[in-house]
Amino acid sequence: MNYKLGVALLIFWSLYFSAIGIAQQQNCIYTVEGRVLDVENRQPIPFVTVRLLGESKGAVTDAEGYFQVRHLCEKEFNLRFSCVGYKPIVHHHDGHHAMPTIYMATDVSQLETVVIESEGEELFFESATIDKIDSRSLAIRPASSLGEVLSEIEGVSFVAIGSNVQLPIIHGLYGNRILIVNNGVRHGFQNWGVEHAPEIDLNNVEKVAVLKGAAAVRFGPEAMGGVVLVEGNGMELSTPLSGMIKTGLESNGRGGYTAANIQYGGDRWSYHLGGGYTRLGDRHAPDYSLTNSGKEEVAVNAGVRFHFRDGDARLSYSLVDQKLAILRTSIFGNGEDLIRALDAEEPLIIQDFSYEIKPPYQSTAHHFLKAEADWNRPGGVWHLIWGGQWNARKEFDVRRNAERPVIDLELWTNDLQLEWEHVTWGPFEGAFGVQLFMQDNDNNPGTGTTPFIPNYNTNRGSVFVIETLERPHIRYELGVRGDYEVTSVRGRETNQDTFSNEYSLGNATLSFGVVKSFMDWEFRSNFGTAWRAPNVAELYSFGQTGYKLSYGLWRYQFNEDGQLQTNKILTEEDEALLPEKGYKWMNELKWDKGIHQLNISAYLNLIENFVYERPIGLTSTVRGPMPAFIYDRNDALFTGVDVTWKTSWSPKLEGVLGASYLWSRNIDKDEPLINQPPNYLRYDLSYKVWTTEKAQLILGADAQYTFRQYHAPQEVNPEDIVNGVVEINEDTPIFDFREAPDGYFLLGGSINGTWKNWTGQLSVYNALNKSYRNYLNEMRYFADEVGRNLVLNINYKF
Amino acid sequence: MFSKITKPFAYLLLGLSVMTFTACDDDDDFPEEENDLEVITRVTLSFTNDQDAGDVVTALAVDPDGAGIQDLEVLENIVLKANTTYTLEMELLNELDPNDVKDITAEVKDEDDEHQFFFAFTEGVFTTPTGNGNVDGEGEVNYLDQDGNGNPVGLETSWTAATATTGTFRVILKHQPGLKTATSTVNEGGTDIDVTFDITVE
Repeated sequence: MNYKLGVALLIFWSLYFSAIGIAQQQNCIYTVEGRVLDVENRQPIPFVTVRLLGESKGAVTDAEGYFQVRHLCEKEFNLRFSCVGYKPIVHHHDGHHAMPTIYMATDVSQLETVVIESEGEELFFESATIDKIDSRSLAIRPASSLGEVLSEIEGVSFVAIGSNVQLPIIHGLYGNRILIVNNGVRHGFQNWGVEHAPEIDLNNVEKVAVLKGAAAVRFGPEAMGGVVLVEGNGMELSTPLSGMIKTGLESNGRGGYTAANIQYGGDRWSYHLGGGYTRLGDRHAPDYSLTNSGKEEVAVNAGVRFHFRDGDARLSYSLVDQKLAILRTSIFGNGEDLIRALDAEEPLIIQDFSYEIKPPYQSTAHHFLKAEADWNRPGGVWHLIWGGQWNARKEFDVRRNAERPVIDLELWTNDLQLEWEHVTWGPFEGAFGVQLFMQDNDNNPGTGTTPFIPNYNTNRGSVFVIETLERPHIRYELGVRGDYEVTSVRGRETNQDTFSNEYSLGNATLSFGVVKSFMDWEFRSNFGTAWRAPNVAELYSFGQTGYKLSYGLWRYQFNEDGQLQTNKILTEEDEALLPEKGYKWMNELKWDKGIHQLNISAYLNLIENFVYERPIGLTSTVRGPMPAFIYDRNDALFTGVDVTWKTSWSPKLEGVLGASYLWSRNIDKDEPLINQPPNYLRYDLSYKVWTTEKAQLILGADAQYTFRQYHAPQEVNPEDIVNGVVEINEDTPIFDFREAPDGYFLLGGSINGTWKNWTGQLSVYNALNKSYRNYLNEMRYFADEVGRNLVLNINYKF
Repeated sequence: MFSKITKPFAYLLLGLSVMTFTACDDDDDFPEEENDLEVITRVTLSFTNDQDAGDVVTALAVDPDGAGIQDLEVLENIVLKANTTYTLEMELLNELDPNDVKDITAEVKDEDDEHQFFFAFTEGVFTTPTGNGNVDGEGEVNYLDQDGNGNPVGLETSWTAATATTGTFRVILKHQPGLKTATSTVNEGGTDIDVTFDITVE
């Protein structure tokens, strides 16, 4: 009943707001309404006082947390929200913004009360299943990677190379099939292979949302498996100077981090400033040291916002400079070394603990500058965003010239977006947008090796329209997008002859979604298409990386006898340039019955021309036999179910059951896909021991069982290939050098306390110090995962 | 109403796209030429008769496309005279760019404290050293050169052929940065070269 009323009100006020544009000259016609929720459990808070500063007007929230203040004479004003036991907040509001949601934090909470004016980019994708990361999880593990933090969402995990390079994987897709949008701009980095993780500083992240449905209509190519939205400081106006100092220590790696940030919001302008430093040494598996697995990271961020009568202008900058070690034992010369490394019980190279980061390692500096303007006009809000990114990456390998990088790339990304969010037209609400995207990748000279990928420029222009239609109990979302891109490629062959090519691709993308609610249930369904051009690495890779030789789609062919040839660089005339196209259908059912909150989502994703890398055999070289890999493409199908069931066993005890199941297959060849996430089951418990006005103590425990990946490719031991026991040719089914590792059970726990301005947490990960190998970590061939890790965090707020 | 909204939008779109495509299309530089010092495409073994400097026996293996899929080919095998002592010298070249051949031997010499050659051969081919080499097992090899730490390198080695026989001769170059010691074996480090030749003593 209340919901019905809410929707009716929403439609009424939407119409009302659109009328404002016409009747702007009249006085005291403005209204503000919104909703107040508890930041921790997202439940409505009744009896919150809402007051206009400097005026006598105000309101109190109802049982569902809604409030409404009518007959306001000014379009802009300051609102103060206060309630006993909660941290108050002053919010500067202007009439053009959507209904604000106020998330209030209790006096003892580690979180702050925040105002969310609109759900930002997710706004038009309610049907595409949004999962948000609790900002508390972000606060307690800033030394970990984005991939690691995201993996607490059902259906999301990460593929890794060791403990430092971790990429999010959503419903079986990763790398350049997951789009990472950092503060409204697509993160421009060397996004190919599993070797490159996004350079995101978790200390500068306030909110992370994952769109698991195909949201390519809004965000563009590559969003085949989903979108990760990362938001930094919102730079709220009218907030006093505040800040936080965070420190943490980790036993495994004998290191830690420290970070500090401050923020201030005046009437017209606001700013934030922050920075952090992380240092970890070699990690330790239960039985041995993981030699060369340390990490060092420096991050800086700053932003300023200026608010004028009809809009906002913002400028922000961030830098992430990291040095990530890669396990020493993973580097060897040829197939025989690989066999020895695979057969060894323990890594072949184990040295004493060290903080030093030696080859192989990656060193990356990512600079990100963004200018943004919002302009409220009678017809709607205009957003103009320019983002410039400079990503400088160097990779060092164990080789004769180890002091020189083996890969030395500079990637410039320019992103220009203009969007117009129109006021409601009848029941419609939506946005039009145009985007220009330019990327320029250059190899720096001096690597002493032929560039593995060529220089390239990609320029793309895009146009999109998204509309939503609200009806009682049902909401429809529809989006259409057009992209056209031109790529120019310039590279060198191993004899230093040059080659070049230019090609273009265009595509139309479509998305349709529906959200339906009835009683305690909510059902959402989204169908979306997505696409991406094969990236330059997939087309042009040539040569050795790590222990293998790789050949891109345009760097090999089979002759009439079925023999692999790599002596010619192909073009679209020899081998068609086919875009990868995805069709994802995502459904979610939610049931919220007070103490039980159940969430089931099921999906089906068909991808045409799915590009993947597979072993093709061994070739004899001066170094001896070397494993050779080619990029291949086939149609692939992904389907699965994610379940989350939250239960409040008592006011103090809460439990969450999570499970994820994925089935995927190469449907062209009817064979399994490689490196697909295994299924798992987990249970988290949290117990509030006591809560007073100034202090709080919470105990937590979590248990997870990860199953073996039963759909992994067959094992072919490289020894059998070297010895000629197994013959590999064009038609050999996909294989892996080792079968998938066994399932494993992990246990963790935490004690979290708050006292006045202080927050502390002691957590233990892999509490049983279990030796196990993770199928999604390429280092599983050579070493166990990290063992028990005790993490102590202390944060001080002022 | 509609045209009022779309008109400025269209102008902006036009303006911005003109800006983009004129600004960024003139970047057409190629990666600079690289001196590829890691790739070895040609391995030459020169056996010089210790009694007669004019008597040089060579063996040759080439992999002309380097990182390409084309297999390594042994073009010349080893043919030695019976009961003769030879000094074996290694020559490693990168000939991917025929106009700019790189001498990798010098690279190895520069970093000799990180490199060592290992040898495996059919037992009975040589009288000195005896055995089957130092690849598997503890066999001896007569190294004529040492690195700064006094450990063997193997760019120069000494061999005395036995009486007429045939067999194989395998040469392995290991790269052992931080791993090379007096006791390090063929199992440490990465492999730079692993080539097997046929050997005939006549």
